[in-house]
Amino acid sequence: MDTIEQIPVADELFRWSDDGADLIGSRCRGCGAQYFPKSLSCRNPQCDEKAVEPVLLGRHGRLHSYTIQHYQPPGLFRMDPFTPYAIGLVELPGGLRVMGMLAGCGFDNLRIGMPVELSVDVLYRDEAGREVITYTYRPGPEGKAS
Amino acid sequence: MRPVYVLGVGAHPWGKFPDKPQLHLAIEALSAALDDAGLGWRNLQGLVAASSRFEGGMGWGLHANEVLQAVAEIGVPAVNVGGGCAAGGIAVHTAASMVASGQCEVIAAVGAERMPKGFIPRPPGCPDDITDTDYLRWVTMGATNPVYWALEARRRMHDFGTTAETLAAASVLMHHHAAANPLARYRKECSVEDVLNSPAVADPLHLLEICAVSDGAAAVILGSEEQARRRGVPLVEVAGSAIATGQFGDPAARIPTVSMSAVGTAPHTSEVVGAVRGALAQAGMEPSDVDFVELADNTAWHVLAWPEFFGFVEPGQSDWMIEHGQMGIDGKLPINPSGGFLSFGEATTAQGVLQVCELVWQLRQQAQGRQVPGARVGLSAVLGLGANGASVVLKA
Repeated sequence: MDTIEQIPVADELFRWSDDGADLIGSRCRGCGAQYFPKSLSCRNPQCDEKAVEPVLLGRHGRLHSYTIQHYQPPGLFRMDPFTPYAIGLVELPGGLRVMGMLAGCGFDNLRIGMPVELSVDVLYRDEAGREVITYTYRPGPEGKAS
Repeated sequence: MRPVYVLGVGAHPWGKFPDKPQLHLAIEALSAALDDAGLGWRNLQGLVAASSRFEGGMGWGLHANEVLQAVAEIGVPAVNVGGGCAAGGIAVHTAASMVASGQCEVIAAVGAERMPKGFIPRPPGCPDDITDTDYLRWVTMGATNPVYWALEARRRMHDFGTTAETLAAASVLMHHHAAANPLARYRKECSVEDVLNSPAVADPLHLLEICAVSDGAAAVILGSEEQARRRGVPLVEVAGSAIATGQFGDPAARIPTVSMSAVGTAPHTSEVVGAVRGALAQAGMEPSDVDFVELADNTAWHVLAWPEFFGFVEPGQSDWMIEHGQMGIDGKLPINPSGGFLSFGEATTAQGVLQVCELVWQLRQQAQGRQVPGARVGLSAVLGLGANGASVVLKA
């Protein structure tokens, strides 16, 4: 069976395998502040060290808020076929909040505070037949998000 | 530093003007403001323009030197300021600073904009990689601007029990105010049912709860006390003016970022809160001294949330204020007697200048049909892309 090649929608943003998906961010060695995506510098004004290093952010979080995108966004965003979808704001342990598409959950079942887990989903197939994927959050197990 | 006064204000009506370049809109607004001040172009000792990216020669957006070269080659300093949608407020602040410092006796600030249709697209020339969050928010999730505001609105409903009807009522109030404002683009009254029946754009926000984009222009002439007294009209003083940027740990879902570190003690929407606090401090005033507010209501959520962020209303209490008419013209804290962004549609850089025009009309008791009774102190607040905020306190 042929395997369809998958490519990320942007480089150096996330990694994935059969084992799961991880967001690639930065962590400051001086103050511990976390950033997504990778940052040029630490932004904490109380931090003088400003030594950021790449870090894999936690896979689990809680849904802080969400919305349903009813209209097809312009140009750069591609999804074939387009259907209305949910976008969530997910709070990770430590306080960083990350926006991302929500998958694997009916709109009516979305609840603020629900545990979610990082995943990846296909947005579209490119001209070379490759699947272009983005990171998503799906309903996750209780007990891992806080 | 010396006191600064408003000598004149003027605006071009908001709408869509495909046959009128941005430069024309700017010149019409400036001409109206100069007429209002009883001054001519030759009396200006400086011009500050709020620049944005959508139109204007040399790729600079609107620029003050372009205006002067087009209509009055008087050789005075031209200053062009950025700051996204806060640029208008930053332009007024810059002009006020140039009078306060003694550099100018008479100066103008102008904002003019013709907006592209629909969702605001990404500007050309930006890198297509993770260093540009505007690129990221589009390709990874197609997060339109309303998505950011919807995330805030949904969270507010969870935190304070805000209902869809109360959000809609905030929009109804803005449209009610605008019905009496000839400068507003959307002047038709609407009901809560109309708002809730309008298309869902980004749940829980409907089309009538999100500001459209418009074309428009506004200008303010500022000057010294001597200049103001020479005019012989009611004096309106710039009691306080401040600009600010975002603070670390601000929990706001800030366009176009895709994450935020909600870890510190920074206030929500800290760039605007910082400017408001700065303007009030300079004026030596408390929120209770302010008679009415003109704020950047990109959505109905802003009408509820911002007065709380500024400390004018206790957290969660704006719902009660709206439900009991207390944010109307006759209420305890009138919000946007002009009709706000929801009724104008946002002409980005012009919006912050228009807010100051409305403060002046109110303080001169010239706001026919929408006059806040006895208004003596007004405050403006505007937010711009890139964590920029501006606020002005005017006093009659």
